[in-house]
Amino acid sequence: MAVWNVIDHEEFSGSATSYEKTSIPASYDHLYFVASARTDVSTYLGSSKLTFNGIGGTSYDLTTMYATTATPTSGSETSNDCINYIYVAANSVLSDTFGTVEIWVPNYANTSNYKQVLSKWTCPNNSTTNSQWIVGQTAGLFMNTAAINQFTFSENTGGNFVQYSTFTLYGINGAG
Amino acid sequence: MAVIEAIETVYLELDTASVTFDSLSGYEHLQIRVSGRHNSAGSGGRTIYLRFNGDTGSNYSSESIQGYNGANTGADRYAGQAYVYAGGRLTGPLTPAAENYGVSIINIPDYANANKNTSMNQMSGTTLGYSSGTFTWFGGSVWDNTAALTSVLLYPEAGSFVRGTTISLYGIKSS
Repeated sequence: MAVWNVIDHEEFSGSATSYEKTSIPASYDHLYFVASARTDVSTYLGSSKLTFNGIGGTSYDLTTMYATTATPTSGSETSNDCINYIYVAANSVLSDTFGTVEIWVPNYANTSNYKQVLSKWTCPNNSTTNSQWIVGQTAGLFMNTAAINQFTFSENTGGNFVQYSTFTLYGINGAG
Repeated sequence: MAVIEAIETVYLELDTASVTFDSLSGYEHLQIRVSGRHNSAGSGGRTIYLRFNGDTGSNYSSESIQGYNGANTGADRYAGQAYVYAGGRLTGPLTPAAENYGVSIINIPDYANANKNTSMNQMSGTTLGYSSGTFTWFGGSVWDNTAALTSVLLYPEAGSFVRGTTISLYGIKSS
């Protein structure tokens, strides 16, 4: 059985508020997500968020570290309705520039444990001004023992991901 | 056909100023993995610089977050440089053990899309990059050019890659 498998890939032909994949099979060991994305919000830092199985409520904790000035910052939130603190490029960033996002969800289909998530993200820009660029990573916890079968990555402030944003979801296998 | 494929691995048997990959087509994303060391006299940890498609203009910008020398943290940001500054991390002559090579993983998603600039991220680190210095680094960069990527040049901030440096290029498909 192949180690890497493509579950889904989309390149947006227009603007849309989210990328969503439903009916994710439970047949892999891990999920790996890659995005190259930009939002249409009139700011620099494109706030995005992640949810699973269509569940919000108070089902997510997170801890994050990032730099958007010369001094790195860290923080945490509990009982969130999503895993936020995932940033891509927004509309005020250098034209044609998209942020990068990587997300790992190990052991996503187990029905005994909560699901840990690790994300890395960048909003590169041709600016050294504070809060006009950001890099960081966020660890999240989906406090639910159900197997993950739905993956939703959304713009977080009411905007959209723009045309040419791409999203790829992989299923990764371990040894049989 | 496999989703992830090793396109090329360069194992340096001699000190070498730079490495270029120019067979990139056929994938959605690229990943470069470096186990590397440089030979610039009098220095320890150094950066890997990158250039795309041979462009030497001031078209690259980088931002990064780092932890170093124990409890220290910091961030860097550079705009309009002639290279990707935050390309990864190498050990060097002041690194105590000659066998100690720095490690870097560089990701370049959607590298062939001619509708967007090339963005990348990297995660890297050196333990004992200097006599007592450590360094872990995460960064993002953008090349202000919408051309599809056709070549990637990697070279040390100073000096050359030393013998034993290994650089592998992987292609990751989306279908």
